[in-house]
Amino acid sequence: QRSKKQRGRYVPRCTNTYRKLLFKDLSKNMVEKVLKQMRKLDWTDQKVKLYAMKCLSSVWNIKFGNIHCMANLVAGLVSYYDNVGIYVVDGVLEDIRAGMEINHPKFNQRRVSMVKFLGELYNYKMVESTVIFRVLYSFIRVGVSLDANNPTPFDPPDHLFRIRLVCTLLDTCGHFFDRGNSKKRLDCFLIYFQQYYFFKKSLPVFDPEARPFPLDCDNAVMDTVECLRPKLKFYADIEEANQAVADLKRDCLQKLSEKVPPEQLAAFQQQMNQSNDTTG
Amino acid sequence: TVTVKQQKDAPMLKVVIRCLPPTLTEEEFLKLVEPLTGHDFFNFFNADSSLGQYACSRAYINFLKQSDVVNFRDKWDGFPFKDTNGKEYPAVVELAPYQKIPKRSNRKPDPR
Repeated sequence: QRSKKQRGRYVPRCTNTYRKLLFKDLSKNMVEKVLKQMRKLDWTDQKVKLYAMKCLSSVWNIKFGNIHCMANLVAGLVSYYDNVGIYVVDGVLEDIRAGMEINHPKFNQRRVSMVKFLGELYNYKMVESTVIFRVLYSFIRVGVSLDANNPTPFDPPDHLFRIRLVCTLLDTCGHFFDRGNSKKRLDCFLIYFQQYYFFKKSLPVFDPEARPFPLDCDNAVMDTVECLRPKLKFYADIEEANQAVADLKRDCLQKLSEKVPPEQLAAFQQQMNQSNDTTG
Repeated sequence: TVTVKQQKDAPMLKVVIRCLPPTLTEEEFLKLVEPLTGHDFFNFFNADSSLGQYACSRAYINFLKQSDVVNFRDKWDGFPFKDTNGKEYPAVVELAPYQKIPKRSNRKPDPR
């Protein structure tokens, strides 16, 4: 048994062991073993705790196919230390948001990994579907301008990475949105997503002859949507998609007007229009 | 006991303060926003150095009343925090996308 003082020094020396455990050894069969090792850490030490949680959210260091193991590990740790889950989720969400603001290609792999990790955390019941939808909408709304003459640096016209992120997240956990409220939410989201997708497709940078819209992006969207909603009919073009969004908004307002007093409705309508115009 | 519906309808009270200077420490931050009252959860994250020049610190606070959230936002959203070199970082105060906070449980420590 080590004394407390020695245990304090124990961290930097063992850092490499834990990094190896988490980033190299972690695989489907190793989750139990790694969990056992992780529990042996001195979680009462603030420094150790912070470092461990930083490692637990650095999923871009592990193989893409093993990301679900990390989510499994975090879910396992939560039954012993419940704040770990909250810190990790907070960190992941912040990283996704920061990625959108920085928008540097060097972080692209990291961003995809993080989004996948978030989806896996949902699969392990660490976050609710509300959070997933919040993130999905942020991909097609934060820093996005749906005005072709007024592009933003956060989402330039030829930038299709946001579409890739939406597909990654839906591929990871979209199949759970098949009943109840989350089913309705996904149906709504797919209308907005199609609007964004057709808007991108209709931009003048993508000229059918000189520079056609990338086929792999097209296929990724088709694959994702077909997996989730095999019967969904794609809109033909941007006008149709815009029309669908307008219809959806009108229906929503109608339903609201039956339940909400008129003055509240007016405020809501104003808010809706604002969110339409603004870029941020 | 709180039902699932009540939990979902509960107002959002967890706030995140983003884009703080990377050199800012927890103690300095607490000293700056003093007096911080009416909250039951505070957490400070140091900047993630793997983001290089884009790294920023952030903090989470869970308030008990909605009015406190608004007051805090009015006071600190956009406030230019200074790092050790005097460079200004306007803070961003937002509702946290993930609203959960650690339970205050008197669970026994992990027997390991």
